[in-house]
Amino acid sequence: MGVWHRVVRRYPELVPHASLPALEVSGLTKVYDDGTHALNDLSFTVPDGGFHGLLGPNGSGKSTLIGIITGLVRGPAGHVKVFGHDAVSDHRLARTMVGLAPQEVHLDRFLTAREVLSFHGRYFGMAKADANERADELLVAFDLESKSGSRPNRLSGGMRRRLLIARALVHRPRLAILDEPTAGVDLELRHDLWKYLSALHQQERTTILLTTHYLEEAEALCDNIAMIRDGRIIAEGTVPELMARFGGARLEEAYLAAMQEDRGQTLPGDRHLD
Amino acid sequence: MIDRAQSARLRAASRRGTLALSGREVRRVSKLWTQTILPPVVGAVLFMVVFGGALGGQLRDVAGIPYLWFILPGLLVMTVAGQAFANASTSLYQARNEGYIDDVLTSPLRPAEVVWSYMSGGLYRGWISAVLVAACGLPFVPGVENWLLAIVVLILTGIIFSALGVMTGIWADSFDQQAFIAALVISPLALLGGVFYSVETLSEPWRTLTLLDPIYYLVDAERGGVTGMHESAVWLSVAIAAVVAVVLTLVAIRMFSRGKRLRP
Repeated sequence: MGVWHRVVRRYPELVPHASLPALEVSGLTKVYDDGTHALNDLSFTVPDGGFHGLLGPNGSGKSTLIGIITGLVRGPAGHVKVFGHDAVSDHRLARTMVGLAPQEVHLDRFLTAREVLSFHGRYFGMAKADANERADELLVAFDLESKSGSRPNRLSGGMRRRLLIARALVHRPRLAILDEPTAGVDLELRHDLWKYLSALHQQERTTILLTTHYLEEAEALCDNIAMIRDGRIIAEGTVPELMARFGGARLEEAYLAAMQEDRGQTLPGDRHLD
Repeated sequence: MIDRAQSARLRAASRRGTLALSGREVRRVSKLWTQTILPPVVGAVLFMVVFGGALGGQLRDVAGIPYLWFILPGLLVMTVAGQAFANASTSLYQARNEGYIDDVLTSPLRPAEVVWSYMSGGLYRGWISAVLVAACGLPFVPGVENWLLAIVVLILTGIIFSALGVMTGIWADSFDQQAFIAALVISPLALLGGVFYSVETLSEPWRTLTLLDPIYYLVDAERGGVTGMHESAVWLSVAIAAVVAVVLTLVAIRMFSRGKRLRP
């Protein structure tokens, strides 16, 4: 290993950010206490500034992977690095760079919408005034201004979903992980969220990792897609590359063909859960 | 390896995050004051009215001390212990059960900072309740003999029971389990801890049972602080309580750090 390589490994902050991947997952394996194999030697990379889609059926390991990156799932084997910082051994710094909008809507019911955002920013080290200012900015951006004093249980499902995404962005993370952010959201709002996410990606250069079951969403937004099944990445590439490899005029057809192809190669009884 | 700017950022996250989470816990107690502050204060005042007032004439002095003065220290310890435990365990269990603890678990806060923040809500609730109980009782008793001792004992009681509350909040898998610890462990220990009687007046096996109750030593030390009368070596009790407070806080941090039942 060369000297430069060793310096980069030891002092990743010396390297210009653009050259470090936003997310580097290698050999990741997770077996839950009940013996469920959720991830099997999973490896993939999300480049800095990328809009990466992670597609897979329910129980394929997407949420486990996201849980490990964000510290919600413990004790994996393998490595996860966020902008060069190990998500387990150097987790505090790694976490300051990640914003998570989880699949389940869990919001603190003792706080108002504005406080949910403001407190989140402060947990990540923002000064109170900055956190409040950022909360107001996001309430406007997500059209929640009129609900700033309402508690989450007084908001509609779509509003809660928007608040959850806004919360993930309060501390200006360099990597935003959005786990099915448009699940259960009406068509109009879904398109509004697409516009916002595109703007976030292009204007603020935030790297985005998106999981979704709406393949047209992935097709419209993502510049790279990884398909996951049984805790492994089974295919990766741009939308045209995936369509060329698996056939079909749309991503949906390529996805189904990829899953079918892999199913044929997987031994019967080899079941994994999220 | 982190540079100076990143190190400063983490220090800020620790300081501001801990203050924010502690503030969130204190606000929760204040907002829900009819559920968190009022009931224990009313309960303790009723004990004082019934035992110290209504039955006061029929209950003889204990070791030359008017009965209301005798029970006030125990009521203060019982209030701090019960409320510190209840708040820390309920708040943490609620955050786990409803899933919004993820907001904290994904943050850069250290386990010790999160545990201390949850404990601070318990301490606030316990001490505010005790201040109100004392405000209701002190005008009717001769006063406080040793303020320092009385305050130190209540501080240690708060730390011990809020740490136990955090441990229960992490361990409990249901509200039933959490309520079980509160109703069948904390309350009996508090009531049998010599709040209403002197251990010298008890026959066996009650005397031995009381002497085995750790809360008895806190009650006795607090009584030493408030009335000047005590049955055990108070400063030894305080020293042991301080060690127990540190150990239980470290155990709570360790439990949070290991993450079992918090993270799959």
